[in-house]
Amino acid sequence: MNMKSGLEELRKRREKALQMGGKAKVEKQHKLGHLTARERIDKLLDPGTFSEVGILNQSDIPGMEDRTPADGNIAGFGKINGRTVVVCAADHTVLAGAEGRVGTFAKEARTTKIAVEKGYPIITLGDAGGARIPDIMGSDGLSSMTFPIEGLKYPRKIPYVATIMGECFGGPSWMAAKADFVVMVKGTCMAVSGPRVLELAMGEKITPEELGGWKLHAEVTGQVDAFAEDEEHCFRIVREFLSYMPSNCDEEPPYVPTEDTPNRKVDEVMDILPDAPNRAYDMYKIISAIVDDGKYFTIKPYYDQSLITCLARMNGRTVGIIANQPLFFAGAGGPGACEKAASFIVLCDSFNIPLIFLHDTPGFFVGLEAEKRKMPGRIMVWMEALALSTVPKISIVIRKSYGMAYSNMAGTNCGSDFLVAWPTADISFMSPQTGINVVYGPMVQAAKDPQAERERLIKEWEYQNAPWKAAARHFIDDVIEPRDTREFINKSLDILRGSSGRGFISKKYLQAWPTVL
Amino acid sequence: MAQEIVESPMPGIIKSVCVAVGDQVNENDTLCILEAMKMETPLVAPMTGKISEINVSEGQSVKGGEKLFVIES
Repeated sequence: MNMKSGLEELRKRREKALQMGGKAKVEKQHKLGHLTARERIDKLLDPGTFSEVGILNQSDIPGMEDRTPADGNIAGFGKINGRTVVVCAADHTVLAGAEGRVGTFAKEARTTKIAVEKGYPIITLGDAGGARIPDIMGSDGLSSMTFPIEGLKYPRKIPYVATIMGECFGGPSWMAAKADFVVMVKGTCMAVSGPRVLELAMGEKITPEELGGWKLHAEVTGQVDAFAEDEEHCFRIVREFLSYMPSNCDEEPPYVPTEDTPNRKVDEVMDILPDAPNRAYDMYKIISAIVDDGKYFTIKPYYDQSLITCLARMNGRTVGIIANQPLFFAGAGGPGACEKAASFIVLCDSFNIPLIFLHDTPGFFVGLEAEKRKMPGRIMVWMEALALSTVPKISIVIRKSYGMAYSNMAGTNCGSDFLVAWPTADISFMSPQTGINVVYGPMVQAAKDPQAERERLIKEWEYQNAPWKAAARHFIDDVIEPRDTREFINKSLDILRGSSGRGFISKKYLQAWPTVL
Repeated sequence: MAQEIVESPMPGIIKSVCVAVGDQVNENDTLCILEAMKMETPLVAPMTGKISEINVSEGQSVKGGEKLFVIES
């Protein structure tokens, strides 16, 4: 083929691929309220930065070539906030986005390899019901489309983000399960198999929303990290998440300058924390007061809300915050809180993000339901993650910190580099009210005036639980004024970043931990 | 007309109810105090409006997810 006709052919082929599954299919996608894969990529990336690979791909099944532009999966490189990323988007207008051998397997393997070697985040935009039929049919079909296990051999070298943007079964669900961060658009579904298959195979009738809708993942499974109102919101969430992350595990997250002074006094926290120790308050308000510009980014906002895991910045640098939330179950974490904390520690440690712990918890949630869900194991997985994490850790006891939960929140000798308390701290193995009964029960009953004796013991116990004794013996580093909390954290981070400036870079002992804990 | 249902976020006992049917409330006003795990948690109005329904009274035990108040605007 000579140059002229070759160029014509190239342009013709590209032009055809850009039409995706054709006008009717594109209209159908829009009618569902969805963008096409190409529109999605344009909205996700900085304008004009997408450079595609594999636009000429087609199905390798004879006769299917014309019906499979880019083989139903659009991939390439682009930029988000000026930083290079790799993006792969299922094209729902091509055979419903189902994964083909060429587009998903061959193409994604190539782009993933470059992403990992050069250190760029990967984002997959999921909108497919699994592998394509007939590609996967027969012993040869299935054998040629087994899970691309190579992709699991370099865990957490780069941030891996998955989105759920349609009814996703099979492939996109696996991608979400192995991702570091998953966003789901409300109204979509994420599950192993779809309702149609379930009905045929098991006789089970269920809607996609019941089977794998956002509420299920938000409140019950915890497999999704953030939820979007619509597709554009989903892209804003992905871009914001990546703004807190380094491009790869060898770097620090980007520094974002702020006008918010590092030593700003946070007097407002005194009003947020109620005087009565049995009065709940919103820990998000304390977090908002402390961090740069009051901005934070919550991970798994609806899953066991007794614990908050969020990203924020302190003096321009990303931090991960693990905080008890007294508004829910008094801040007593259940199995879900443990999973959430452990997976958040793994995320932050793998990507060089220092951790800040804010204690206000009456201990772990106990009871039969928690035990049925392996509570001792969950508590220890959190401890194991804490033990192996090597990013800087700063721990602050705001109010209560009882029992084992004090250890998990990086209390004394549990991994913190700096551990301090507010004067309101109450550190003990159990709450005074319950503890008195456990320890002195018969003695109180035998007293002349049991009520007076009980009150005397509670006063005594409260004095013992105040932070002064722990500070005196250097079990904690200091007791700080609440208003100085922001300044204290910033000074500590500055010290922990070290003279080399590489003090936030972890040793990555948690890099190979599972993505679902 | 917008309507918001305030549910109990967790099981507990209603320690006190701070509003009555017909009351005008502002967003974040306390509707009731729920006691759970020895902690008093204020449940607040998710929006500004009028209380059109109250399904709880002082001392009542509630389950997680139970409908407590309806606010209309």
